[in-house]
Amino acid sequence: MQYAAEQAWYMPMGPAAAASSMESAVARVERLASESAVVVFSVSSCCMCHAVKRLFCGMGVHPTVHELDLDPRGRELERALARLVAGFGAFGSAAPVVPVVFIGGRLVGAMDRVMAAHINGSLVPLLKDAGALWL
Amino acid sequence: MVQGEESSWRMASAHDHERAAVHLNQAALPYHGGVQAHASAALPASFLDFQPAAAAAAYFGELEEALIHGAANAGGVGHHPGSMITSDMHSAKSAAAGYLAARPPTLEIFPSWPMRHQQQLHSGNSQQSVGSTTDSSSARNTMAQMELVSPGPASSIRPSPPSSSEQQPQQQRQEVMMVTTDDYSYKPAFAPPPATLAAAPSFQQQLQLPLHGGDHDKRKHGLARKDGKLVDSKTERRLAQNREAAKKSRLRKKAYVQNLETSRVRLQQMEQELQRARSQGTFLGGCSGSGDLSSGAAVFDMEYARWLDDDGKRLAELRGALQAHLVDGNLGLIVEECMRHYDELFGLKEELARSDVFHLLTGSWATPAERCFFWIGGFRPSDILKILIQQLDPLTEQQLMGIYGLKQSSEQAEEALAQGLQQLHQSLADTVAAGTLNEGAAVPNYMGLMAIALDKLASLEGFYQQADNLRKQTLHQMRRILTTRQAARCFLSIGEYYRRLRALSNLWASRPRENFIGTDSLSPTGTELQGLHHQPQQNQFSGF
Repeated sequence: MQYAAEQAWYMPMGPAAAASSMESAVARVERLASESAVVVFSVSSCCMCHAVKRLFCGMGVHPTVHELDLDPRGRELERALARLVAGFGAFGSAAPVVPVVFIGGRLVGAMDRVMAAHINGSLVPLLKDAGALWL
Repeated sequence: MVQGEESSWRMASAHDHERAAVHLNQAALPYHGGVQAHASAALPASFLDFQPAAAAAAYFGELEEALIHGAANAGGVGHHPGSMITSDMHSAKSAAAGYLAARPPTLEIFPSWPMRHQQQLHSGNSQQSVGSTTDSSSARNTMAQMELVSPGPASSIRPSPPSSSEQQPQQQRQEVMMVTTDDYSYKPAFAPPPATLAAAPSFQQQLQLPLHGGDHDKRKHGLARKDGKLVDSKTERRLAQNREAAKKSRLRKKAYVQNLETSRVRLQQMEQELQRARSQGTFLGGCSGSGDLSSGAAVFDMEYARWLDDDGKRLAELRGALQAHLVDGNLGLIVEECMRHYDELFGLKEELARSDVFHLLTGSWATPAERCFFWIGGFRPSDILKILIQQLDPLTEQQLMGIYGLKQSSEQAEEALAQGLQQLHQSLADTVAAGTLNEGAAVPNYMGLMAIALDKLASLEGFYQQADNLRKQTLHQMRRILTTRQAARCFLSIGEYYRRLRALSNLWASRPRENFIGTDSLSPTGTELQGLHHQPQQNQFSGF
């Protein structure tokens, strides 16, 4: 599991950071999502995110995790993710947005969608197609 | 009202001739009150239980009286029981009165009660004997029975008046009582007849007097008829008995249905109130062994009980369909029904989880045997899969692959959720134990601590939702892998498995507890035993 370098809060504001601040949150989400085969947007204190991370590790997948609470623009990202996930029928409005999973740059959804995909057997082929899983 | 009626009734019985002479139409009223009073005195439990039948009973009382007086006049076959039943008390009386006025006395057995009553009372005044109420009631009872028994009172009265004129009234009562007591198994309706016979044996004698004296020609007519068709009179009597019994059952049924309807309406109102209270967020208390339920939990329990009933029906349907070897199309419909049935339960649970997730997590809606296997508020998907793999024996290679794949995925998902939950527990414990516990609630950031803990507790709801979702998805995937027939057997197996767990819980709850005191010290907590005590109420619930 790699934690993307730009989440490191100690990083000074440089040209890279300035360039990324021009980006809209949605665009940034999409960019981050396509950077890696499996991308998980999470919050470090969220236990459900912990569960989804354990799920992938258990399958032998190493997702790229973006901790939104450790990102200076995490709030915007969270709002953008909420909009993206809204149409996917999450459990009630009180449920937190994270974790949100992208596989091969495409949105899979929140935890319930990931679990449903795993149960009906569509998750593993998706992972294989994205190159996150071999064999 | 009862007491007043009681006293008026007693007055009536003592001085009935005076009262009846004065009040024609109202004469029947004290008797009806007397009916109710006597009935309530004689059979309080059954009468009060059957309030809607009071009106029917009172009405019946009036019918009895009318019949008695009809018998007094009668020489002919009565033949309008139906018309009497369909009208209410007063209209019946007036109808009878009009009837009497219009028809010749010979064929009359439903004369107007006041008119005949007046005549008889005047004539029988001297012979009035004021016996005990029970005697008079039994006397009137026999008279009423006799009237009801035979539409042709001629046939029944004929023998009796001659005999009674010679014998003691008691003997006659007894022999007629033997004939007729088994006709009336329905107590509340039975009560009025004895009550209506409250007016003394005077009636009996009064009734007999006209028969003796003034009705000789009627009697002759009756005798002639009787002699002509001796068998028929018995048949007629039987037919009349049947009619009366049928009438009584109809009235009984009507009263019962009315009772049910009112209870149903009341239940609906209560359910609506519960829903309203639940939506307003009024919680009656946390879920505990003592049975305090939040309103949402109470509604859920009710719905769940209904779901269980439906479940039983579905299982029976499945079993029947499998044995009947239905076409796949029809069986498929039944299987779809089952799947919808389970989805319904998942929907119910999801709804409750938003307001009271702890009721679902602690499993107080489930029987103890099922609670043993609980995993985040329900069954563990891989457990069910293990059971089903054994039950569904002839599986194709592809199906086996599919099922084992499903088993593996569900195990991985369960493991992930369990680890997430474990982290939640740890984090919650850390939060609650933050700061120094020795100082109690005086810790400075106590409220902040509580707020964080509340958030963590809220995420518990998310875990429950995911676990339930996992269960639902597993069932759906199972359905997809299997053929229709296999899916039917699968649902049947699951249903039967849980039915057995429920039965096991019942047996456990009802097992003898001689060594209960001895095991008291061995049991881990008192609440567990307390939970056992509550099993009889929860026996029908299962932990799906």
